[in-house]
Amino acid sequence: MRQRIFVDGIAFWSPQLPSWEHARAACNGDYRPPTTAAARPTPTLLAPTERRRAPDSVAVALEVAARACEQAELDPATLCSVFASTHGDLAVTDSVCETLAKTPLLTSPTKFHNSVHNAAAGYWTIGVQCLRPYTAVSAWHYTFAAALLEAATQAVVQQEPILYVAYDIAARGPLGTMAQSAGLLGTALVLAPGPSNTTIAQLDWFTRHNAALTATASDSPLTPILAGNAMHGCLPLLEALAAGSHRNLSLAVSAQLELALELRPHNGENTQTP
Amino acid sequence: MPATQTQTEQELAALIVQALNLETVAPGDIDPEQPLFGEGLGLDSIDALELALEISKRYGFQMRSDDENNRQIFASLRALASHIAAHRAQ
Repeated sequence: MRQRIFVDGIAFWSPQLPSWEHARAACNGDYRPPTTAAARPTPTLLAPTERRRAPDSVAVALEVAARACEQAELDPATLCSVFASTHGDLAVTDSVCETLAKTPLLTSPTKFHNSVHNAAAGYWTIGVQCLRPYTAVSAWHYTFAAALLEAATQAVVQQEPILYVAYDIAARGPLGTMAQSAGLLGTALVLAPGPSNTTIAQLDWFTRHNAALTATASDSPLTPILAGNAMHGCLPLLEALAAGSHRNLSLAVSAQLELALELRPHNGENTQTP
Repeated sequence: MPATQTQTEQELAALIVQALNLETVAPGDIDPEQPLFGEGLGLDSIDALELALEISKRYGFQMRSDDENNRQIFASLRALASHIAAHRAQ
């Protein structure tokens, strides 16, 4: 069954492209990313104690979550959310694993606390004082599409806007040989069941079984910069949103389940495209 | 005017800043006689656990979470440095 949602807010952060404006311009060939890069964003919405304990995964997730809500002109405390990460925080996981292997009695309570997959969602809800439900999703190489499907479904079923945040960081240590990822990448969308004055795109979507599924490939100048990050599955949709033109996309939710998207640009008026 | 840090206190202050990722504090800014917890540096009970772990790693002796003297041991940089000096194995 075909469903319709609207993209009311969008945000992006990577060390070379520290905003959606940078990413959009780079996608369209209007901006050449610098070779120097920021280390990580500062999660200013956290209290000082939480801020100094927040690992990179949390810093990047909170940055894009806050910017997407700002763009959608919505109070973050009112939004349900979906947080997606392929691997969680691999730097923290590596550190905890190393400690457990060598000196298990010296496990850091902060690192243990940060090692859970839903750490970013927890920091977010504390930081913005949000009591609404959140969902944390991991689905290996299918994480971006699977969590997008979850967020889109919630927007349609609950008939209210939802915040969708997707991020991954660089792999470290022995786990990096199996769970590969390079660099820092975060993106966030606010998805709504109806259009608003901040809507930038209309997204019609449905799922179907597809034994010969070929997902849409990333083909913009972002590809060589970000393809090594485990969340690179977000790139085809971001490229389509950056282009601002009518496009059909195919994302893989599993080896044989397709999330088909038809994207149309929207001018932010409260009128639906027929 | 804060009291001057001894060499051991300087080393411990650097460890505190690094282990707890204190963004806006330089090791030399920590007054050795002022409280570490609550007001001032704004440290809390999780920081006490982190600090105990780092001290165990660096100085080779175990600090216990159920030590009845913990309030006194962690009272200030000076008190903590003095406890380390009395118990350090390395």
